Amino acid sequence: MAADQGTLTVGRSRIGTFFANFGGVVFSIVMFFPVYWVLVTSFKPQTEWSSFTPTFIPEAPTLDNFTSAFNAPNFKASLVNGIVVTAVAVLFSLIIGFLAALAVARFRFYGRRAIILVVLAVQLVPFVALLIPIFLMLQSAELTGDSIIGVTLVYVVLLLPYTVWTLRGFIAGIPRELDEAAMIDGCTRAQVFWRVILPLTGPGLVATSVYGFIQAWNEFIIINTLNDPEHQNLMAWLMQNQTSRGTYWGPLMAGAIITSIPVVIFFLAVQRNIASGLTAGAVKG
Amino acid sequence: MYAVETPPAPVQESPRPPVTRRRKRGTGKALPWLLAGPALALLAALLAYPMGRMIVLSFQDYGLKQLWSGATAPFAGLENYLDVLTDSAFWAVVRRTILFTAVSVLLTVLIGLGVALLMRRVGKTVRLMMIVAMMFVWALPALVQAQVFKMMTDSDVGVLNYLIDKLPGVDFQNHSWFFTPTQGWIVITSCVVWAGVPFLAITLNAGLTQVPKELLEAATVDGANAWQSFRAIIVPILKPLLVIVTTLSVIWNFGLFTQNWVMRDGKPEPEFQTLATYSYVQAFAQNKYGLGSAISVITVLLLLGAMAIYIRQMFKIGEVD
Amino acid sequence: MKRKIAIAAALAASLLGTAACGSSGGDSAGTISADGKVDGKGKTIKVWLMVDAQSGWKSVVDDASKRFTDATGANVTVEYQQWANVLTKLDASLAGSDVPDVVELGNTQFPKYVDAGAFGEVKKDTFENSASWLPGLSAACEMDGKTYCVPYYAGARVLIYRTDLFKAAGVADAPKTYEDFIAAADKVQAANKDPKFGAVYMPGRYWYAAMSWVKANGGDIAKKDGDKWVGQLSQPASQDGLNKWVDLVKKYSKADVTKDEADQYLVFSQANAGMFYGNGWEQGSAEQVRKDPNDANSPLVDTKVKGKLAAAPMPGIPSLLGGSNVGVPLKSQNQELAAQWIKYFTDSTSMKGLIKANALPNATAMLDVAASENPALKVGAEAAKNSWAVPSSGKWADVEKANVLQNMLSDILTGKKSVADASAAADEQIAKILNG
Repeated sequence: MAADQGTLTVGRSRIGTFFANFGGVVFSIVMFFPVYWVLVTSFKPQTEWSSFTPTFIPEAPTLDNFTSAFNAPNFKASLVNGIVVTAVAVLFSLIIGFLAALAVARFRFYGRRAIILVVLAVQLVPFVALLIPIFLMLQSAELTGDSIIGVTLVYVVLLLPYTVWTLRGFIAGIPRELDEAAMIDGCTRAQVFWRVILPLTGPGLVATSVYGFIQAWNEFIIINTLNDPEHQNLMAWLMQNQTSRGTYWGPLMAGAIITSIPVVIFFLAVQRNIASGLTAGAVKG
Repeated sequence: MYAVETPPAPVQESPRPPVTRRRKRGTGKALPWLLAGPALALLAALLAYPMGRMIVLSFQDYGLKQLWSGATAPFAGLENYLDVLTDSAFWAVVRRTILFTAVSVLLTVLIGLGVALLMRRVGKTVRLMMIVAMMFVWALPALVQAQVFKMMTDSDVGVLNYLIDKLPGVDFQNHSWFFTPTQGWIVITSCVVWAGVPFLAITLNAGLTQVPKELLEAATVDGANAWQSFRAIIVPILKPLLVIVTTLSVIWNFGLFTQNWVMRDGKPEPEFQTLATYSYVQAFAQNKYGLGSAISVITVLLLLGAMAIYIRQMFKIGEVD
Repeated sequence: MKRKIAIAAALAASLLGTAACGSSGGDSAGTISADGKVDGKGKTIKVWLMVDAQSGWKSVVDDASKRFTDATGANVTVEYQQWANVLTKLDASLAGSDVPDVVELGNTQFPKYVDAGAFGEVKKDTFENSASWLPGLSAACEMDGKTYCVPYYAGARVLIYRTDLFKAAGVADAPKTYEDFIAAADKVQAANKDPKFGAVYMPGRYWYAAMSWVKANGGDIAKKDGDKWVGQLSQPASQDGLNKWVDLVKKYSKADVTKDEADQYLVFSQANAGMFYGNGWEQGSAEQVRKDPNDANSPLVDTKVKGKLAAAPMPGIPSLLGGSNVGVPLKSQNQELAAQWIKYFTDSTSMKGLIKANALPNATAMLDVAASENPALKVGAEAAKNSWAVPSSGKWADVEKANVLQNMLSDILTGKKSVADASAAADEQIAKILNG
C-alpha cells in the first residue's frame, strides 16, 4: 500500500502546524527518554549508576558493562537458543495458523464458529496457570531440560490463537470476488491460494510475525521453568542481574540493549509492512 | 485491497448466495477441517489437556506431596472456589485489576489516537522522529521496560526524583513512589501506557491513511469544524480498528504481571497485586495448586463474561460471518 | 518431635544463654552415606547451586568437583539457579523424573521440603565437622532425629558504621550496649545536618532486622501451643521490640520504607548514612565494588566510603542466622555419588575457600578459623554464635513467600496501620499459614 504521507486537512493553520510539530517533538522526547536512560546507564561504571546524583551524560563512559554481559555465563548459548526458538516458533505458528485461518475465513462448515470462539477464548487463559501440567507432560516426553523442542512447541501454541485470529481478518479482507474471478479463469483451489490469497496476505503475515516475534522473544517464565540454564533465552539470562544482592543496573541495561538489538533489526527489516499490515488485518476484525 | 468499508449491514452480509455455490464446488466438508487440523491438534495437545488438568485441579486439594508422589489428590468439592469467592482480598484484587485495566486501556487508546492524529499534522522530520522513538520503545522487552521505570523512580538513584526536586520549592529527595498505592499505581500505569502507545499510535496512524481526503475537504467546505469532522468521518472509519486494538489492550493489560512483579521486586504488597500475580503467588509460592487453579478458572470466566458482549456483537454484525 | 526439641534447644541456648533440654539428632543411622568408595565412572551428577556460588566462590565449587571426580570417576554438571524462581523450578522438577542430585536451598526454606519428604536421609557423621554444625543451619535439616541435609554456609548480621563520622561526632568506640548505639546515632545525626542524611540506614521491609529487635526484647514470631501455632507478634514483649525498631527507623533512617535490604550496601556506599545493619560481607562490598560484578576476578574499584568503615556486633540484638544447606532429593538416581560430592563440597578444605570468599563456614569449629584467617569475618563469626532461627515449621517458608512480615512492616511505616493492628493481623496470617 502506498502509505499516504500527506497531512490531514483538518483545521489547518500555520500556528496549528507549529504547535503540532512542537507537540510531536515533546512527545518523541518523553517517549524516548526511558530508552535513553537504558542507553546511558549501560555506559556508566558502577560508581556512577549507583550515585544519588544521576548524570545525563556518562562522566566516565565505559564498555565494562557490555564486556560483563558478554562474559556472563551462558550469554552466547542464550542468544543462540533465543533466536532459534523464536524463529522456529514464529515460522511454525505462521504456517499452521495461516492454514487454520484460511479454513475459518474461506469456508463455511459446521463447527466454524466454535473454532473462532475457542481461538478467542484461549487467549484469555493465564498461561502460568498451565505451567505445571505442561512441564510434567513435556518432561515425560523428554522435551525439556537440554531440549528446546518442548519450549518451542509451547511458544507455537502461545502464538497460535493470535495468529489465527488476525490472519483470519486479513484473509477475510480479501474480496471473495477475487477468488471467484480466478476460478472462472480456470484456477484450481490450490492455485487460487498460491496466486491470490497468499500474496495478498503478505503484509498481514509480516505484521503477525512481529507480534509473535515480540511475544516469543520476551518470554522468560516458561523457558526458565522448562529448561536448564544453558538452554534458556536472553530474557531469562537477563534476570541473572537481579540478584539477592541488589540489582546491577549497569550490566542489566547493557544486557537489555543486547537483547533488544535483534528486535530492532527485525523491526527495521519489516518496518514497511508493519503499519500497513496491522491496519489491513484489523479492518475486517 | 485495504479499502475500508463502513461496517456492512448484517442483513445484507449473512445470506450470501456465492457461499453455498462454493461449498458445492469444494472438495467436500473435510477440507476446512484438514486445514485447521494441525492448529487444532496442537491446541488440543498442549492447551486443552493442561486446561483440563487445571479445571480438575481446581476441585482438588493439591499440594506438594501430591505433586511429587503423583498420588491422587483429595477431592475438595467447591472448597477452593468458596475460599476464593469469600476472600475479601481476592475481591480487592479483582476490583483493582478491573480498575487498572479500564484506566490503562482508556489512556493508551486516547493517547494512541491523539498521537496518531498528531502524526498526520506534523512535518515529515517530526513524524520520522516520532516513529523512531516509538519503534525503540516497542523493541524494548517488557522486562526491561519495567526495569527502567523501576530504576528511574527509585528513591535513591532515581532520575525522576532528581528532576522533580529541581523544580523550585519542591522537595522530592528520597521520595518513595511506592509509599502510597496511588502513586505506585501511577508509576506502573505510566509504564504500561508508555509501552502500549506505540502499537496503538502506529496502527491507528496507518488506519488514518485510509480516510479519504476528499471527504474531509468536503466537510470543511460544508462548514464542519475539526471536532465535527473527527466525530462524523474519522471515528466511524477507525471504529473497527479501534475495537480490535481496544480488545487486545484489554486482554494484555488484564493479565498484568511483569510490570508490577518487577517493580515490587517479585514481592508485591497486597495493594500491588493483580489477578495474575495473585494466582501465581497462591499456586506457586504457597503450593496451593488447587486454589491457584480455581483463581485462574474464575479469571477466565470473568474475562469471558466481560468479552461476551463484544463476542456476540462480533458475530452479530457479521464481521466473522 | 526431636527436631523441634533440637531447634528449641539451639534457640534457647543461643538466645537466652540458658540450657534447655539437650538433645540432638546425633547418631541416627543415615540411609545415604558419604563413606567408602563409590565407583561413578561414566556417570554424571547434576548439582543445583544458587547464583551466589557462581559470583562469589566458583573456584570452591570447581575444586570440590575436581576432587570428587578424581575420587569417584563421575562427572559433575553444576547449574546455577536464581533465588527468584528456584522453588517453582524445584517443585516442578521433583514432580518429574529428571531430578537434580544435589540441591541447595536457603536454611529457612529447607524445613518445608524436608517436611514434604523431598530429601533423602543422610548419614550425618560421614560429613566433616558435622559434630559442630551451626545449629541455626542444621536445625533446618533435622526431623524426628534424622538428618536430611548438610549445612553449607552461613550469614550473620552485624553493625557496620562510618569510623570517620563517629570520630567527627565525638563517638569514641563501637557501641557496646543498645543504649550506646542509640547515643551514637543521636550524636552522628546531630553532627550531620544534610536533610538526606540518616544516622542509621534501615529500609522498611527489612524483616530480618525487625524480627531481631523483637527477639532481643524477648518476643517471638510464633510459638507452638500444644499442636497449634500461635502468632506472638502482638504479645507485649514483641510489641516492645517492634516499637523500638519502628522508632529507630522513624528517627534515624532516611531509607525508603518500601524497599528491602537487598541493595543497602550500594546505597550506603553513597555516604549518606552513618550506620547500617548488614551481613559481614556487606562492609567490603560497600567499600569496594567489582569493576565487573559478574566476574569475581575483576579488579576492585573504591567507593566514597573506602577505608571509612568498621564492623561490630550489633549490641543487644541477636542476629538471624541466614545461610544455605545442600541435600539429596529422594528421587535422585545417584544418591551415593551425590553424598560424596557434598562431602567434598562441605569439608574443611572447601570451608577454607568460603572463608577466603567472605562467607561464614557451616560449623562452629570452622568459625574460629574464619575469625583468625579473615579479619573481615571476625565480627560476623561472633554474631553467628549469638543467633536465632525462624519458627521450626515445615510451613515457615510459606510465611516468607507470602511476605507476611514485610507487608506488616510496610503497613506500619506507611502509616496504614498501627503497630498493634498490623501485628495482630500478621499473627492471624502466620497462624493460618503455619496451621494450614
